[in-house]
Amino acid sequence: MKTLAKEVMSTDFETLRPDLPLSEAVRSFRRASAKGRKIFGMMVTDEQNRLIGMLSMYDILLFMRPKHIHIWGHMDDIDVEGIMEVACERARSVRVGDIMTTEVVTVSPDTHVLRVMDLMIKKHIRRLPVLDQGEIRGIIYISDLFYELLESLSR
Amino acid sequence: METQRERDTLSRLRVGHAMRRQVIQRVEKTPIVSAVNAMIKYKVSAVLVTNPEGKPAGVVSKTDIMGAYYAGIPVDTPLEHIMNGPPLFCHPKMSLSQALETMRAKSVYRLFVREDEHDSVQGLLAYPDIVGLLYRVCRNCPISLRHKRRQESPDNVARYRVFEVMTSEVKALEDHTPLYVVMETLSAYRFGALLVIDGSGVPRGVLSKTDLALAYRRGVSPEVPAREVMTPSVVGCPADALLEDAIRRMIFTDVHRLFVYGESPERVVGVLSLSDAARVRSGSCHACVSSRIRLEAV
Repeated sequence: MKTLAKEVMSTDFETLRPDLPLSEAVRSFRRASAKGRKIFGMMVTDEQNRLIGMLSMYDILLFMRPKHIHIWGHMDDIDVEGIMEVACERARSVRVGDIMTTEVVTVSPDTHVLRVMDLMIKKHIRRLPVLDQGEIRGIIYISDLFYELLESLSR
Repeated sequence: METQRERDTLSRLRVGHAMRRQVIQRVEKTPIVSAVNAMIKYKVSAVLVTNPEGKPAGVVSKTDIMGAYYAGIPVDTPLEHIMNGPPLFCHPKMSLSQALETMRAKSVYRLFVREDEHDSVQGLLAYPDIVGLLYRVCRNCPISLRHKRRQESPDNVARYRVFEVMTSEVKALEDHTPLYVVMETLSAYRFGALLVIDGSGVPRGVLSKTDLALAYRRGVSPEVPAREVMTPSVVGCPADALLEDAIRRMIFTDVHRLFVYGESPERVVGVLSLSDAARVRSGSCHACVSSRIRLEAV
């Protein structure tokens, strides 16, 4: 069994820049997912390629969610068609850095995979950047960890 | 027997009915920029600041963010340097009427909700939450406008119109006005947003505290003109529109305020905010209190 973060991390990843418009970020998600693996979140880096945040589909959906949606269930006579188009138009001025998550949990290449699993469970994390003295080495996806840890169970 | 006060719609409803349960929190050492991101992403106007043990220590609102921007405070400064505290709380069983009185008396726009000081924070009550609940109550009311519209008979219940509830004072600034003047004006008038007009007085956009928070986050100089960071559209409604329709428009266009116009959209005569709507203290119906007495008497 692989026991360290560096053994289960993926080294093939794309990153985003904070000044990238949200529309471009959505395209990046689509492009990265077209390579095979479905990408639900990406690291955000500065000019020196240092990690400064993470942007997930969840972050983008949170921003796109109408502010007063809890009232909508009571508005059965309203035509909601076109609402998302308006929301998308408004989102055009928003950039990756405006809504990215800035408090990012990371691990080092030598972190034990059980510690990685514990972190992912406790903090509801599905992808974890692997840093070596501030430098990005890779990213651990929960699916890779899952199949690695449960290999003997599925055999 | 119910007292007259008890018959007020807002006195019947409790904080626990209207509050939202998601409270966005950040620890006091967190940098300001993180709170700005949370406000933009979650579309909230303030975050609760906690100490390292998770106990509420203060509040940082968009007004505080604007103050930090104006004062030139770096965005990586810890929240504890700009927070206001301690946060104000109310009980989930408190009537909405009392909660509104507290908000008004203390000049705050939100109350945090908990059972007692040993309890964790259960939720948050802000003006949009009150308006949202009123809107639902109003729509479910047997004499609501929604039901009346489906009937052929004329509606003989007086309804609130936007001009009765709106704030008539509209502060507008020309689009070349620097951001620091915009901030001074917003602060002096305690407004959440200003209308931006061109040299001919035609509305060109709106500049809100959210726009300013984004500009601060992106490192935009407070010297740049308003037109560079304003939202280049003005969401409005006619002055004689029904309050219920105006609230519906705010809900659907994701805005907190409508610019109210007279003869044409280019002539803005007032502002209707969600807090104005909350202050009406009932739904959109003038006769809310008396009609409820009538219904109960039947």
